[in-house]
Amino acid sequence: MAEAIQKKLQLELEKYQQMQKDVSKSMSARQKLEAQVTENNIVKEELDLLDTQNTVYKLIGPVLVKQDLEEAKATVAKRLEYINGEIQRYEMLLKDMEKKSEQHREVLSSLQQEYQRAQGRAVGKV
Amino acid sequence: MAERNKRNVEAPQGVGRLRVEHEKVVKGCEDQIQHWKNVKGDYEVLEDRLKTLPDKVSYDIMVPFGPLAFMPGKLVHTNEITVLLGDNWFAKCSAKQAQMLVEHRKKHVQSALDDLHKTKKNFEARVGFTEDLEKLSDGKGGYVDIREELEGVVCKGKRRVSLKPHSKPKTEAIVKMEEEEEEEMLNAEGSKRGVLSEEELWARLDELEAQEQQEEELDRRFDSADTNGNDDTTSSSSEEEKDEEGDRPAERSKGGTTMPLNGSQVDRTALPPRDGGKEEQEDDEEDDGLPTIHFSHTVEPKKVRINTGKNTTLKFSEMKEQKQQAKRKKNNGTSNGHSHHGLHITSPTDIYRLFVDVKNGEPVPRKSILKSRSRENSVCSDTSESSAADFEERRTLGRSPSHDDNTYSDTGSAITEEDAPTGELPVPTSRFQAFSGTVVEKEPIPLSVPQLTIAPPALPTIPERKLEEVVPEAPQEAPQEAPKRVSKFKAARLQHKGP
Repeated sequence: MAEAIQKKLQLELEKYQQMQKDVSKSMSARQKLEAQVTENNIVKEELDLLDTQNTVYKLIGPVLVKQDLEEAKATVAKRLEYINGEIQRYEMLLKDMEKKSEQHREVLSSLQQEYQRAQGRAVGKV
Repeated sequence: MAERNKRNVEAPQGVGRLRVEHEKVVKGCEDQIQHWKNVKGDYEVLEDRLKTLPDKVSYDIMVPFGPLAFMPGKLVHTNEITVLLGDNWFAKCSAKQAQMLVEHRKKHVQSALDDLHKTKKNFEARVGFTEDLEKLSDGKGGYVDIREELEGVVCKGKRRVSLKPHSKPKTEAIVKMEEEEEEEMLNAEGSKRGVLSEEELWARLDELEAQEQQEEELDRRFDSADTNGNDDTTSSSSEEEKDEEGDRPAERSKGGTTMPLNGSQVDRTALPPRDGGKEEQEDDEEDDGLPTIHFSHTVEPKKVRINTGKNTTLKFSEMKEQKQQAKRKKNNGTSNGHSHHGLHITSPTDIYRLFVDVKNGEPVPRKSILKSRSRENSVCSDTSESSAADFEERRTLGRSPSHDDNTYSDTGSAITEEDAPTGELPVPTSRFQAFSGTVVEKEPIPLSVPQLTIAPPALPTIPERKLEEVVPEAPQEAPQEAPKRVSKFKAARLQHKGP
């Protein structure tokens, strides 16, 4: 009886740890996105400071490709939107994962209690 | 009990670990700050270079050729700068434009630096707290628990009903954790209170608040000036601060002077004691906890000199019984000639009645009894005649217009020129000299009776006082003055008509 509970406990524990890893992965992905957002914001602001007379280049691989200032601005804006969308998505994901991990935690704690009780009973019997 | 002991052991470990974590954060912040400072330095160097670059059309330089060699060359197109804007975007611009971009970036760096500084400060404060907490749990940190046994505290006046009795103020998560640990520790230290329920704690809070208010009011009444008043307000304000940390019930239990435990208000102990005679009894060691000082107020009265506005001072004590005696004494004439009107102070208006200024021989009510007229008249200061003279001068000059407004706005009855009454009263005090004669004091209330014809009643700013007297007076006055006015104008008209 105690052994069965122990096995269950271990399974749950593993699942919980997996969940935690996922959560941390999403967190780090989100942090990366945050950094990109800040960077793109700076680029946008600096493009606004320039005028059409300056040539703008984009680095594609080893090549600097000339771009139109307006085009560049539009591209950067679109990229910003995309990144923000991604951030939202990740937030939702994180929330769900948090909820799930909470549930797991509760299951774990109840299992632990059961296990301890079983242990106590086993000790008592012996 | 076993649990408590276990908690007792765990708590300091927890606190220690908390402190370690805090310190890690602080260190992290410091590293970041260093990093950003370097970046800022680089940008500044860059800016300088950009400023000097377009000075020459081309420079002779040694060009790095691979990692190990240089070769002589020329730097041309000195004004064309290709700037990396971030995220694989480049822009070709002039040196000046590049400068602008650099400035813009420096702003970002500066804001990042500021944020980091702020967080660092916050966490340093938290580290301080946890250190204090640790010291406290050790019981050797020089913290002493001061406990006062309260008996038969009669609470006058209304108890302030808290609108949201169960709303808890917002506290940061970590501070709350500290507090919980503290609570556990204090409970473990075997305090006499036992386990207080929340309701009891809030009731206790309310009690203490009521007590504070009562004490404040009493202080205000007797015009205990500056030092005492300040002590009171600071102590009460810091008490309020403490009160706001509602979930620290452990500190509330005894008196109002229990030493704050989280170290944030250690300065409370620096405040001078309010009463003269506080006794410190033995310095106990309680169980395994803090050394405790038991203290109780003695009945030794504190002498407070209060100015009643006529160059006289009164002595008050803060104990209720003695206060009442003093009131009676005052009413019976400690100040020369203030033989009363059978007046006892039963309401604030009575106080206002007493605190009148004698200006040009006429008692004029003071705007505020809290403000002492001058240094000479404030509590516990020596009276120097020269300073008194100066103050008198400045004061009366400054205040006469405002007094006019006061009197005119408040009284319903018509008031003629203010000068009229002053001329009629005997013994006008000279404004510009220190008064060194005898003072024949005019009683403010009887004054109003004989001099109905003279415009202002003695205390025009207290309309509710003695309504039965004032009301009949007012209509009496009005018709009397009306004819006067009419007569004056009439006289003028007659004069005009006449010649």
